Amino acid sequence: MELNDILQQLNEIFKDILDLDTLVLTPETTARDVEEWDSLSHIQIIVAAEKHFKIRLTAQEIQALENVGDMCKLVQKKSAQ
Amino acid sequence: MNNLIQHIFEKIEELSPIHAKKLKKNLAGFDDLYYERANAFLHKYNQFLMKNDKTMDYAIDCYLKMNADMLAETIDFAHTGKYSSSKFEEVNKRVYANPETMAYYMHGLLLSQFLWKHHYQVYDYYINTLPTYATQVKNYLEIGAGHGLFISKAIEILDPQTRFTVVDVSPTSIDLAKNFIEEGRIHFILSDILDFSEESCYDFVSMGEVLEHVEEPLQLLEKIRIMLTPEGTVFVTTPTNAPSIDHIYLFRNVKEIQALIHEAGFEIVSEQHFLTEDVSLERAEKLNVSIMYGAFLKKRKTNIS
Repeated sequence: MELNDILQQLNEIFKDILDLDTLVLTPETTARDVEEWDSLSHIQIIVAAEKHFKIRLTAQEIQALENVGDMCKLVQKKSAQ
Repeated sequence: MNNLIQHIFEKIEELSPIHAKKLKKNLAGFDDLYYERANAFLHKYNQFLMKNDKTMDYAIDCYLKMNADMLAETIDFAHTGKYSSSKFEEVNKRVYANPETMAYYMHGLLLSQFLWKHHYQVYDYYINTLPTYATQVKNYLEIGAGHGLFISKAIEILDPQTRFTVVDVSPTSIDLAKNFIEEGRIHFILSDILDFSEESCYDFVSMGEVLEHVEEPLQLLEKIRIMLTPEGTVFVTTPTNAPSIDHIYLFRNVKEIQALIHEAGFEIVSEQHFLTEDVSLERAEKLNVSIMYGAFLKKRKTNIS
């Protein structure tokens, strides 16, 4: 799967969980840029992404994420396994 | 915001911006009394850290390690709908008997006492209600002292003649509580409470966040009922849906906790529940957000004692 496809699909997940219809994510987006992206919604996003992409992420992998771009790369890597 | 709280918040914001958002909301909602209490506590805690050649940054690191553990457990809980362990021996080996893990866990919990809204609310409920019992309590037992904050407050509130006993299964926890409280009046006992055999002698038993750490919480409550004097009081707290490295008994909702209390032969004198996230009760139930339950109990008279 291409990184840009993953980004678009993640964007839809974020919009749904955070209830932000106009949210536009970029690879550089971090939680600092999106007020609604907090510890509770973070878990919901991770679980929704796991379900959507049919992958399982470890806590270590999740904690190492710095931005949305990292999340896209991780999804790409796990989807390929 | 005082300097120590400011420092703690800024450090957490730098290292864990997602978590810092929750803290920011918590801190914005607290009143002046909170800041007075938090300031006094953090000053004492900072002195304690310095005496032990540690800094507040060490404590913040412990807190974030504890949070990282909780994130891992929460993800696992989201996958399985269960806590990762259900056996006491498993968590005893992994946590209570592991000094390194216990150290960061206890320091993390100490900070959470004033950083997590529901922890502070439980503390507030306890110290606001305990004076009601000030003249009646002669023999106080705390099960699972953790860091010792609650019993140190009980010593301030209750009669100077009151006897204080702590029973805890973790040597690290007992050492930390002993050093943090610096109070010669407490008799510390290293034991599993289920192996502790005293009957009808305690007129107050405090057991904060212990039921979720045992395989059979009903058995523990029944044991407390035996240890309690006929007119004695129990203060109990426990959370629903709270995955953690040492939680083994899962309460899925507050009704399950209340039912257990009744089954063990107690009546609820007063109770409170506190949401651990800033959401409505309806949303909390939908998302399985943890709810902290706290109650003061008495023996139910209709039961044969």
